[in-house]
Amino acid sequence: MKTILSLTVNGVERDDVVPDNLLLVDYLRDKIGLTGTKIGCDGGECGACTVLIDGRPRHACLTLATTCKGATVETVDGLSRDSRLTALQRGFNEKLGAQCGFCTPGMIMASEALLRRNPDPSENDIRDALAANICRCTGYVKIIEAVQYAAKALAEQELVA
Amino acid sequence: MNEMRPVQTIGVAQPLVDGPEKTTGKAMFAADFDTTEALVGRILRAPVAHAHITAMDTSKAEALPGVVAVVTEADCADSYGVLPIAMNEWALARGKVRYRGEPVAAVAAVDVATAQRALDLIEVTYEELPAYFTAEAARAEGAVQLHEEKPGNIERDVEFDLGDVDKGLAEADLVREIDVQCAEVCQVQMEPHAAFAEYDPGREQLTIRPSTQVPYYVHKMLARTLAMADSKIRVIKPHIGGGFGARTETLQSDLIAALLARKARGTVKVVLSREETFITHRGRPESQIKMKVGMKKDGTITAVDFSAIQRGGAYSGYGIVTILYAGSMIYGLYDIVSARFKGCRILTNTPPCGAFRGHGTVKTRFAFENLIDGMATELGLDPFAVRRANLLVAPTMTENDLLVNSYGLDQCLDWAEEASGWKARKGKLGPNKGLGMACSHYISGASKPKHWTGEPHATIHLRLDWDGGITLLTGAAEIGQGSSTVIAQCAAETLGIDLGRIRVIAADSAITPKDNGSYSSRVTFMVGNASIDAAQNLKAKLVEAAARKLEIAPEDVECLGEVYRGGQQDQGLTFDEVAAAALEGEGTITVKGNFDTIPESWGGRKYRGAAIGGTMAFSYAAQVVEVTVDPHTAEITVDKVWVAHDCGKALNPLAVEGQVQGSVWMGMGQALSEETKFHDGLPIAANMLDYRVPTIIESPPIEVGIIEASDPHGPFGAKEAGEGSLSGFLPALTNAVADAVGVRPTELPVTPDRLMELLEKKARDDRAAASTDGGTA
Amino acid sequence: MEFMPELDLHHPATVEDAIKAYADAPDGRYLAGGSDMLVNIRRGIEQPDTLVYLNGIPEMHGITDNGDHITIGGATILREVAESDLLGEHFTAVATAAGEVAGPSHREYGTLGGNLCLDTRCVFYNQSEWWRAANDYCLKYRGEICHVAPGGKKCFAAFSGDVAPALLIFDAEVEIAGPNNEGGRRRIPLAELYNNDGMDHLTLTKGELVVAVHIPKPQDGASSGYAKSRVRGSIDFPLAGVALRIAVAEGKITDLRVALTGISPLPFLAKGMEKFIGREPDQACLEDLRDRIRTQAKAMKTTMTPPHYRRRVAGGLAQKLAESIF
Repeated sequence: MKTILSLTVNGVERDDVVPDNLLLVDYLRDKIGLTGTKIGCDGGECGACTVLIDGRPRHACLTLATTCKGATVETVDGLSRDSRLTALQRGFNEKLGAQCGFCTPGMIMASEALLRRNPDPSENDIRDALAANICRCTGYVKIIEAVQYAAKALAEQELVA
Repeated sequence: MNEMRPVQTIGVAQPLVDGPEKTTGKAMFAADFDTTEALVGRILRAPVAHAHITAMDTSKAEALPGVVAVVTEADCADSYGVLPIAMNEWALARGKVRYRGEPVAAVAAVDVATAQRALDLIEVTYEELPAYFTAEAARAEGAVQLHEEKPGNIERDVEFDLGDVDKGLAEADLVREIDVQCAEVCQVQMEPHAAFAEYDPGREQLTIRPSTQVPYYVHKMLARTLAMADSKIRVIKPHIGGGFGARTETLQSDLIAALLARKARGTVKVVLSREETFITHRGRPESQIKMKVGMKKDGTITAVDFSAIQRGGAYSGYGIVTILYAGSMIYGLYDIVSARFKGCRILTNTPPCGAFRGHGTVKTRFAFENLIDGMATELGLDPFAVRRANLLVAPTMTENDLLVNSYGLDQCLDWAEEASGWKARKGKLGPNKGLGMACSHYISGASKPKHWTGEPHATIHLRLDWDGGITLLTGAAEIGQGSSTVIAQCAAETLGIDLGRIRVIAADSAITPKDNGSYSSRVTFMVGNASIDAAQNLKAKLVEAAARKLEIAPEDVECLGEVYRGGQQDQGLTFDEVAAAALEGEGTITVKGNFDTIPESWGGRKYRGAAIGGTMAFSYAAQVVEVTVDPHTAEITVDKVWVAHDCGKALNPLAVEGQVQGSVWMGMGQALSEETKFHDGLPIAANMLDYRVPTIIESPPIEVGIIEASDPHGPFGAKEAGEGSLSGFLPALTNAVADAVGVRPTELPVTPDRLMELLEKKARDDRAAASTDGGTA
Repeated sequence: MEFMPELDLHHPATVEDAIKAYADAPDGRYLAGGSDMLVNIRRGIEQPDTLVYLNGIPEMHGITDNGDHITIGGATILREVAESDLLGEHFTAVATAAGEVAGPSHREYGTLGGNLCLDTRCVFYNQSEWWRAANDYCLKYRGEICHVAPGGKKCFAAFSGDVAPALLIFDAEVEIAGPNNEGGRRRIPLAELYNNDGMDHLTLTKGELVVAVHIPKPQDGASSGYAKSRVRGSIDFPLAGVALRIAVAEGKITDLRVALTGISPLPFLAKGMEKFIGREPDQACLEDLRDRIRTQAKAMKTTMTPPHYRRRVAGGLAQKLAESIF
């Protein structure tokens, strides 16, 4: 069966005809061309496909697209606004939180969810929030530093504003 | 103006030049190309481990609507393989399958469901043969041969006997042996293998974007398998989601995507599942190492006598090189005066092993550093003191003729000892806590290339045009390790310009000069040097042009990078002005830089294969690992790691730290949790739940000390940073466990079940000893 | 990367609609979070033609305090269970266990009901279709033999939900709705939800679903906890999971309950715990507890990790938990 899926993806309201068996990750990548979200495993084991659904981090590879009816979906492709990298994107760049970059979209989205609900996370908070995301390059050390960098940058931004 | 200085790029933390793409989702990996129109390629895999293929019928699959192409071995013109002396693989099995999961046919169809239905319609008849899943079974008397040309299923026997080992053992104050068993492990780079292939039927040309570390080797093997002229093939390396050695060989998926695209006369994307990526394997082989070491009371090592047996899998791959490294790299770290080695690489009915980060050296290093740690304890010596008793003095040649031109192990030891608080803390951490240490080293590129062509090891092109921008063209494969950044840094530093002036175009065979690829930690050393050479050539042209313009002699031109001038009072010319002057009458400038190794670094000839290990420079590392063992569960927590790495010169300290942390951590996965296992040849952990790559929770802080024992031939003195500190983690961990709970693991990974068995055995032994003591008292 | 087969997805707004949608389908399944179900569908272990999605049913969400007991909706996500102060206060083991399931992203959509009804797991079963076919399948699905215990006819696939044992020690009941009693509900003790059979470990009849869980508040001031053995610190299913509830008055144990998961086809309460009542919770007592748990933790070769360890560690975790609670 196919249904019309109405949802918001990266701030854009969309209506797409999608089959019931379509996974959110395939909807994002194949149907609407947002290839920032990656597929690293055969289901829920690596976290590379992590996106935000109504602000919460979830696996796009274990979510049926039509269960996102009316939801707000955010992916790494839509994070930077006005051609500026977000604090997290800068953090992953400046602190070398991204080496090969394949886990990075999922890592950044999981970190984004964390910072939105906890702008001043401890190292353990960061570890807990990223515990479903596997990285094979960094040993996670610089990923933690990248998130700390972003939290600090956002706090300073708050002060200025 | 007088304050003007060339821009310093080297030694300064640099974010990666391709970082922004990766953090915004714009980086295009092979699977990201054309997600709607391309045909879907899928592979039929053998369900049996060892069998003759007696019949194959693809007609029903071909007749299925939506199927555009079906390929089998009949479409392959030739075999392939990474070593010219051992090309015994076929993209699709020819006549025989040798491991469960080996590709036998493939289809291209309009969608994945159709492709899968087509695979289900292909009929293959197998006549099964006995299959061997362990080295022992495969080398047993009477075992059926996997390959006609490999009697006894022996890929390669290796032997050397250098110095007088028997005399060394006889003169030792203490001789001890160890027998270690190391599980097979897999790279598990985050990106599953993928290839995007476009065939242009009019021009009969192929363009392919494979997830590879070695675009040049893929290019060669495509030409061979497809019987196409090299010039009709274009290999473009997309962004690569890691490699760690899994992609230092051409993989079947690369070749199959191309075969399908040509047959379909169109565009085909092959994206492997994680399970298929595990089956493709090329990991570190299951190994058994037996080692005997002789030591004097002061810690001096008098002899090493050891053997290695590796379960290589069904095809040669890198096997010969791996077993040679397992022997030769006993040298180069310490002053080893005599060593005897017997190595044997066995062909088995399991997926082929390959070159995994730290290629060949890891398990030998584990055995050695584990053994001498125990010996140090027995002799009442501090583990650091034992290492210091056996240091090399550079420059020197090892007994097996490896050139050691720079050597910072002593400094590494000092740093690790100091940073970890070793002297104050060792033995004083309380129950179930311990400290362990170990050293390691690695080559900065193999000095003899696998495919000897007479060409330089590395070539860089720099192009300067009217816009004042410099385009750096390199064949080096950026796979996440930061190669594009470091190569650009070398050029920028040489020219004294801002890194932002350089745009890197990497690994497109139609545009960039050939490069052998990203393996054996060769890129920084070799391509970095080529980049310096190219930049010097460009600088000479710029200085000449500035001299003309300033009407002074070239030797009087002072190059400040962004400004060229005649002297301090001179206003000088901006870089753009110099560039414009250089282009006058000349047009766009392209210069080239090369790098070649020196013959002294080519390794020895004392035994067959002695060239393996030969390198321009060794990196060195020493690390201390702190652990806590939970007595209830036997779980090991790694609390912290302090690691010093001698990389000659940290061209990009940020990237060096990242590489060293990644190496240490990857060693931790192998030491604690990762294990490639088979059930009757079926990979039973071919997913990321059962193959346990560490999560962020159990990953420790890793403090890095950068040691810079400058190498005379390194680019700005630099040596490798991405592999050398891996192997030291494994023995440092077991040494820490021994310190914490008094048992010394010799089997990897040290999963809680293995450690619990050791702890229970110790408890039994202790009880038995106590009751015996009680009886005699 | 095995793909999703074609299927229809229903979005009922009430439990009654869900039951009807299920009844109308030739081969339906309820879909809660999907963190396990969709993996199994992609692997061909489950091949439903219809999924009935439970997340849109308001009644099945939320944690409510009903005075003497607490009710948790079956579709409540595990993160909410883990973060609930109400649960944390009265049922520490439940909140802890929910927070130990898989990883943080899984807990954002994995539900309590889904965790209680989780399919049993075995290393010969949780594999791809290609893999299972090459291995002649197994008793649990499409095959004739058990690779864990060849020759046997019993399936040992292990129940691996983390939350069930924590609910067992609190005498939780599950509220079940189904087509049988005309849409009426039935309530059973959680223990009765399970069979000791890896192939058929749930007592639910066709079309039934877990609407809610009810937990009576303990009156004895007991403390509780949950500990989980796994090789990695996150994501993994339990090699053994232990929930423990203990009350001590005047230095003597007055109540002790221990439940296990990850060991057998069902989560279960350990037997013989009443023998500890009246004892002082000293070292010898806790070692007895450890050994008694070990004899009941009869794990089979259903995981990469050998059963011997899972048995040993189950006891070790019980001891550790009891120690940590004091």
